[in-house]
Amino acid sequence: MKFTYIVQSLLDGLLLGGVYSLVAVGLTLIFGVMKVINFAHGALMMLGMYSTYWAFALLHIDPYASILITIPLLFIVGVCFQKFLINPIIDAPEHNQLLLTLGVSLFLENLVVFLWSPNYRIVRTPYEFVYFYFGDLSISLLRFLAFCIAMLVALVVYLVLTKTDLGKAIRAATEEPRGALLMGINVRRIYWITFGIGAACAGVSGAAITPFFPVYPTVGGIFVITAFMVVVLGGMGSVIGAFVGGLIIGMADSVGGLFFPGAMKHLISFVIFILILLFRPTGLIGGTK
Amino acid sequence: MTSTKKKKENQGISRRDFIKGTAAMGAAVAAGSIGFPNVLRGATPPEILIGHIHPLSGPLAYLGNQLKNGTVMAINEINQAGGIKSLGGAKLKLLDADSEGKPDISISGVERLDRAGVVAITGCLQSAVTIVATQVAERHHVPFVVSVAVADKITERGFKYTFRVQPRAAQMAPQTVKFISDVAKQAGEKVKTIAYIHDNTAFGGSLSGLVVQAAPDYGMEVVARVPYSPKSADVSTEVRKVKAAGADIVMASGYFSDGVRVFRAMKGLRVRPKAFVGCGNGAYSDQNFVKELGDMTEYVMDGNYQANPKSPLAKKMFDNYNALYGQKIPPSAVFAYQPIYVIADALERARSTDREAIREALVNTNLKTHVLPQMPIVFDATGQNKNAQIALTQILGGKIKAVWPEQYAEAKLIFPMPS
Repeated sequence: MKFTYIVQSLLDGLLLGGVYSLVAVGLTLIFGVMKVINFAHGALMMLGMYSTYWAFALLHIDPYASILITIPLLFIVGVCFQKFLINPIIDAPEHNQLLLTLGVSLFLENLVVFLWSPNYRIVRTPYEFVYFYFGDLSISLLRFLAFCIAMLVALVVYLVLTKTDLGKAIRAATEEPRGALLMGINVRRIYWITFGIGAACAGVSGAAITPFFPVYPTVGGIFVITAFMVVVLGGMGSVIGAFVGGLIIGMADSVGGLFFPGAMKHLISFVIFILILLFRPTGLIGGTK
Repeated sequence: MTSTKKKKENQGISRRDFIKGTAAMGAAVAAGSIGFPNVLRGATPPEILIGHIHPLSGPLAYLGNQLKNGTVMAINEINQAGGIKSLGGAKLKLLDADSEGKPDISISGVERLDRAGVVAITGCLQSAVTIVATQVAERHHVPFVVSVAVADKITERGFKYTFRVQPRAAQMAPQTVKFISDVAKQAGEKVKTIAYIHDNTAFGGSLSGLVVQAAPDYGMEVVARVPYSPKSADVSTEVRKVKAAGADIVMASGYFSDGVRVFRAMKGLRVRPKAFVGCGNGAYSDQNFVKELGDMTEYVMDGNYQANPKSPLAKKMFDNYNALYGQKIPPSAVFAYQPIYVIADALERARSTDREAIREALVNTNLKTHVLPQMPIVFDATGQNKNAQIALTQILGGKIKAVWPEQYAEAKLIFPMPS
């Protein structure tokens, strides 16, 4: 096995890992703040992909430019989701919330089948086959862009959480909702915004991969299973953990594909996963909480 | 307290009423369903129920609905042509069952169709589902004519009620290899090595295994066999392995979505064999593959179960499908369409809607007029279509054309692929 193969695999994995990171950041944010496991995350990602696809197919907007449409769109979807569906049952037992988000996911996927058929749709751009070559290594422009977008959005989310008043309010609502309420923070509104941000993260991840990934109603499932793993790996509720976890899983899967055939490629990432659960049960950056 | 008690009482009453109501309604419905046909029987011939079970929802809904379209079209054609003549022009009626792509769901689906009184069932698109569904049909003695499912095992279990028109894996894979070798010989090209990238399910796994076995018979060797998981998001690493193999022919098996992703990655990474040849590929024989990916799909070949473009019946089928659904009929729909005619043929000869009589008639099938690139449809002792044959297709000028064997070709193939 040539050394460059491994480097190439790591590179491919890192780029896609960026997308896993962003999906997981949205998921972990929602879990961290509301303690809701959002099974509809994949469906939200799928909506982001369709929003990009339709902007491209009907309005001829470049898939990267339409991210500016996808972000507010998914943010609003997320806010409505929280306001009308999650809020009424926020105090219900966790398994009930789980059923709700799962139900919404099924609903959205089948709604899309109903509205737009289960057909596979593909966004084609003039630059889809642009590759950069560095000796034996090559990088796809589309994957590189997806990585950059994911990194950028994850960074913005992180800065919002750590540097702004809104971020402080979100963190306060996470740690002590009652206390935050007493301090005059509108916790309910914080919940809407948080879910909105989480949904927008899912939407952007979807939009970022649409130029090289077929769009179809159940596409979210492919990414979201990995994202759940990333969230647990990074530490439930930890944004940095999700971020780092995504990159690790991306690379582990990719290198795994080099040594093991078919679905066995996930062997390395699952071994890492188990080791982390064994030695750091709270996750990579879950702290000691 | 009192208010909740009151509420409960109210509920109790309404529930009792509800039960009364439903019981009455159930009785009425039951009476209706028993009494009604008796009244009608003298006037018009009764409808003959045929069941189909395909994934109409879930991840494979796209393909499942294509198969349903083919089935519905065949039923309508037969009815418009006067139904089953030996049974007084009785019309066929199709009953749906949704497998959701899951073997366990197919059990209840087949049982429901059985209880509804279907004379035969067709299905299921996926081998894993078909294996289970045919087993249930066998238990209930319902003739089952497989639409699409390639696994050899389906007709290897000594079942009496399972029939399959489609070429099975053990026919499909060696025929594809043979055709590649024929095509290369005709073009005067030397083809020695094959790299095979395939989905890791029973579908791609069994086909690629058979290709590995068959290749040496035609002076070829599979130098790289790369399975991938259709569920995994990234296939770059796998495609790089194919590129590294540098084989003369790149073969690929898989479903639509993963097939598209693998093909795009191969184009992106500049994998340049003498030909891309699918084997039962869910993407390469689908006109949507061309529609979505455009020029880059030019010259891609696929060894797949196909319609025979030269058969007059197939021409009618192509026209009808195009008029109804606005596209060329995909091969999967062809193989949902043909079984209905096989069942109708059996009904004609059986002159009965008795399942045993229909099974007997199916065993003696010798259908000469059909839409497939093969000799008459005849089932061997296992229920497999003995003469089943694939055809090689090639995408030429944005259209999927049958190009080999020559007697079924509608266009001249181009080999090797121009760079």
